[in-house]
Amino acid sequence: MGADPHGRFVEIYERAYEPILGYVLRRCRDPEDAADVVAETFTVAWRRIDELPEGDEARLWLYGVARRVLANQRRGELRRERRTEALREHLASLPVLAHTRSPEEDFSTVGRVFRTLPDGDRELLSLVAWERLDTRQLAATLGISRNAVRIRLYRARRRFARALATAGVDHPHAAMLEGSSL
Amino acid sequence: MNLANLARLRDEDLAGQVSTAPARALMESIVSEERAPAARRLRAPQRGRFRGPLPEWGGTRRALALGAVAVGLGVAVAIGVGLPGGPATRYANAAVSVERATDYFSVTVTDPAADPGRFEEAFRAVGLNVTVKTIPVPPDEVGRLIGPVVPDGFRGPGSIGVQDVEPCASAFCAKVWLPADYSGRVVFGIGRAAAPGEPYADDVVDPSSAEALDGYRSHGRTVAEVRDELRRRGLKVGYRLHWTLSGPGRPDGSFFDQRVTADRIEDGWVVEGSRHSSSDTVDLYVVPGPEAGPAPDPMAAYEAEPHWYDRTD
Repeated sequence: MGADPHGRFVEIYERAYEPILGYVLRRCRDPEDAADVVAETFTVAWRRIDELPEGDEARLWLYGVARRVLANQRRGELRRERRTEALREHLASLPVLAHTRSPEEDFSTVGRVFRTLPDGDRELLSLVAWERLDTRQLAATLGISRNAVRIRLYRARRRFARALATAGVDHPHAAMLEGSSL
Repeated sequence: MNLANLARLRDEDLAGQVSTAPARALMESIVSEERAPAARRLRAPQRGRFRGPLPEWGGTRRALALGAVAVGLGVAVAIGVGLPGGPATRYANAAVSVERATDYFSVTVTDPAADPGRFEEAFRAVGLNVTVKTIPVPPDEVGRLIGPVVPDGFRGPGSIGVQDVEPCASAFCAKVWLPADYSGRVVFGIGRAAAPGEPYADDVVDPSSAEALDGYRSHGRTVAEVRDELRRRGLKVGYRLHWTLSGPGRPDGSFFDQRVTADRIEDGWVVEGSRHSSSDTVDLYVVPGPEAGPAPDPMAAYEAEPHWYDRTD
């Protein structure tokens, strides 16, 4: 652990800000809410800087924090802070978001089927497809064993494939996680 | 057809975002916060398992706008009715005024001690079907609007949130985001001064920087040491096990607490933080030793305790 918490935090922030922002934007209905979730996530990191693992593990640790902050946000337990006003405005006007929808608003067949899955399945599959995490990284992010990851992933994929087949999608297994080795 | 295509963007689309002015300003704002101040009270101003820094009003007392209360007593004013029978854009009574802006509601609490029914009446007049409860809080949080809490989880579209507004000439001023037609259960709390010894409304805290006692740091000391200090000060003690899922091999970063009785606590265990749970009682957040056994399910521990927003009164 570095002796200088400030320097260490700055380094982690610079490396992890974009992946964490991406993680949150992909899951927030409203890009403006993402500003507060990101702020809260890094505030936790600052408070607990001594506990943050080294290297890329810090990013996985932060995914775990962001996941819970998002859950709190969905329960209405997140405050909008004055200090995030500029970031909220900035995110709301990001060109890359101008013509995109959150997964909740995706009315494609895959989007609709994906929304019917249990929350745990959705989280696991999206961490693979969107954050491109492997089994070890999933285990670190979710705080469970690799074996538990493999079992949960197998079940989630099976449920997703069945739901896709029911919805009339051909070759659902091939469709799900292209480009992933999992 | 690829699941990856459901993502609205990829990390690569965000290249350079960390260098933008708002991202740099956020970083500066976070590191300007003390990480573990020696004697700072950290309590309830905001809900949420993970909390941001305290809003800057900590410690300042708001003078209640008593004049306005007297003038407005028993008078309710609704302005700007859109459709016949439809919600007003602004409503004010002796307790509160609520005004609908483009994408949020401005709420000004005038009399935090008023009947909760007066708050509900005002929210409903502008189209928000919510429940309001007055809840016991420490003196420096009287008048504060807490919520919106959606106990069953918020389902979009839209967003929810609250942000306090400064300066405020009344007891409390805030902006509230909540879809006007939201049909799920929504609860607001209004802080009232707790009676001596009356437990404060439950709140989720990060105890790592919470210290209840002026001039005394409980963090890192043993339970026996801190308990002796509390006795010296004539305070009662309550216990919470502070379970954490972080640490080597468990890089998760989450934590939760569980209220327990004194017989579950060993004197030699280490205190993470402390917090007043009433005017005469301090709760110690204790790191469980190996004898404590495995952590319980976080949601089960959370749901095992009563929460102010579920109370029927």
